[in-house]
Amino acid sequence: MEGISLNSFLFVGAILFVSGIVCMATKRNLIGILMGVELVLNGANVNLVAFSRYSSIGIDAKFIALFVIVLAAAEAAVALAIALSFYNNHQTIDVDQADELQG
Amino acid sequence: MNFESLLNKLIEDTLQLSLPLFSAELVLCGTIVLMLLVRLFNADKFLPAYIVSIIGVGISFAIACCDYSKLSTPGFATGEIFTGLLIFDQFTAFFRIFLLLFLTLVICLTELSGIPDREDGPDFYTLLIGSTIGMLLMISANHLLILFIGIEMTSVPSYVLVGFMKGRKKSSEGSLKYVVYGAGTAGVMLYGISLLVGLLGTANFSEMGANLHQILASQSVEGVALAISNPVVGTLLLGIMMVLVGIAFKLSLFPFHFWCPDAFEGASAEVAGYLSVASKGAAFALLVRFCLSIVGDYSSVDQFSNIYLAIGIGLGVIAVVSATYGNLTAYTQNNIKRLFAYSTIAHAGYMLMAVAALMVIMSADSGADINKAELASRCIQGLLYYLTVYMFMNLGAFAIVAFIRNQIFSEDLEDYKGIGKAFPVLGICMGICIFSLVGLPPFGGFFGKFAIFASLYEASTIHWSMFVVLCLAGLNTVFSLYYYVRILKTMFLEERPEGAPDFQSEPNLWNSGYVVIISAPALLLGIFPGRLSSTVQDIASVLFN
Repeated sequence: MEGISLNSFLFVGAILFVSGIVCMATKRNLIGILMGVELVLNGANVNLVAFSRYSSIGIDAKFIALFVIVLAAAEAAVALAIALSFYNNHQTIDVDQADELQG
Repeated sequence: MNFESLLNKLIEDTLQLSLPLFSAELVLCGTIVLMLLVRLFNADKFLPAYIVSIIGVGISFAIACCDYSKLSTPGFATGEIFTGLLIFDQFTAFFRIFLLLFLTLVICLTELSGIPDREDGPDFYTLLIGSTIGMLLMISANHLLILFIGIEMTSVPSYVLVGFMKGRKKSSEGSLKYVVYGAGTAGVMLYGISLLVGLLGTANFSEMGANLHQILASQSVEGVALAISNPVVGTLLLGIMMVLVGIAFKLSLFPFHFWCPDAFEGASAEVAGYLSVASKGAAFALLVRFCLSIVGDYSSVDQFSNIYLAIGIGLGVIAVVSATYGNLTAYTQNNIKRLFAYSTIAHAGYMLMAVAALMVIMSADSGADINKAELASRCIQGLLYYLTVYMFMNLGAFAIVAFIRNQIFSEDLEDYKGIGKAFPVLGICMGICIFSLVGLPPFGGFFGKFAIFASLYEASTIHWSMFVVLCLAGLNTVFSLYYYVRILKTMFLEERPEGAPDFQSEPNLWNSGYVVIISAPALLLGIFPGRLSSTVQDIASVLFN
């Protein structure tokens, strides 16, 4: 670990974050969008863990990261359930088909 | 200090101080478990879920009221509990009572309008109470982790509540849009939290302000205002902005409002009413706490007043755009739930103006001849008053929509023709709610708006932009009159067309009684504003001690 600076970790985190946002914005498949969300959350987690080693925040940041992992799992479970319910009603999970509610 | 004494101190602190103050939430958790156990043992035939939940929420409400009255006894220490993760003070206690009272009213409404059937009852109330526990965490958050957990715990059950009517296309589409936007903004907010945590070196609200001042002071050069182009300042502002994105999503403010009309149209009216009031109230409490925590010690912000002023003006711009957008778009709506969704966006805008005024007042130079604490507490007073009235008037409107849906099986404004004459009680109560939403005197909404506009005027002496916000807000009130009155015109002045479907049943005494009880406070709080305004004054003043 010696020799790797904080900035390198933050750079990885930022790349994950941006990839996640791009993924969320461009994917038309709901599962793809959820993958983008996971990337964003994990980008933030990389930041948190790196900060817990290099900045004065200490172990608090690691605990935040642990809680985030749990919450991300809960959110993914609910999102998949909703995707299933959407599939049952529309026979697709293409989000472009969700165009009934407008105005 | 050795490990053992540290551990003993922690146990003592948790058992003797923190857990008793957290008992309202614990009772709610117990209620959920009990409700599910009742179904597990097939006892829900003679002990339906709504009875279990209303008893549990009632006990929790009583505990919250006791906690509130305990606060006024001398010698009772308020402050951080659970080693600084949560905070318990008058502000928390007020919002706890607000949310639990609202939850009780919503459970009564769902039972009267019969939206979850017997079989789905435990699921529905589990989600409802679960998301309220998340909101109770939001209002007492004192740590960025609790901020995130609170928002997620509130959002995740709400996604399911919106999609609760499984077989309906619109319902699943509404919840799909809600979950996609919600998950996206939660991710952005978490990234913001990670930046703030790393740069500030703390996640505790009570330390964030001081650390922020320290960092800003180390970056500033004598005599030159802090530039946003400075990398550290820019990153900090980015982090703050990203956290505000997450809160703005919960408040359905302008660029993050897309889910709101779709989710409300897809959800049942009861759920829409619940989401429109409860998650807004909790999110405003959280927003106020977060904003005050980044301001920190407000007597020493002279050096970096431009940073806080920029945040205040930014919030003001978002508030005006939300209010204007909500009001103008509502005008063309035909689905009544969608119309009220846009009205909700507009009201969130009005309430955000109070927070914008708060930030601008906080950024004032200490040389200026103003009493910051008093002016700022007046902003919070306006916000609290508005929220309280908003709870009654908005829930009243959605309850009436739900009861009328049970009669005509429609939520389109066109089908509302002549409803006011067929159901005079529902019609008159709708009138009270709507005039209060517009903000006409002597209805409660008037005093809320008046208090917020007054604090905007006071903030305009510090920066002229708040005066522009004030003018546009006034103009918005006039816009909103048109579409609100259109609902009443349809209900009362237009005749019910020939061949319209018959009503399902005679007006029900229970339904009428419920809407009268809900909408009466919207009128009474306008006629007798004294009691509530002195209460919110006390509560707002403790934030600035």
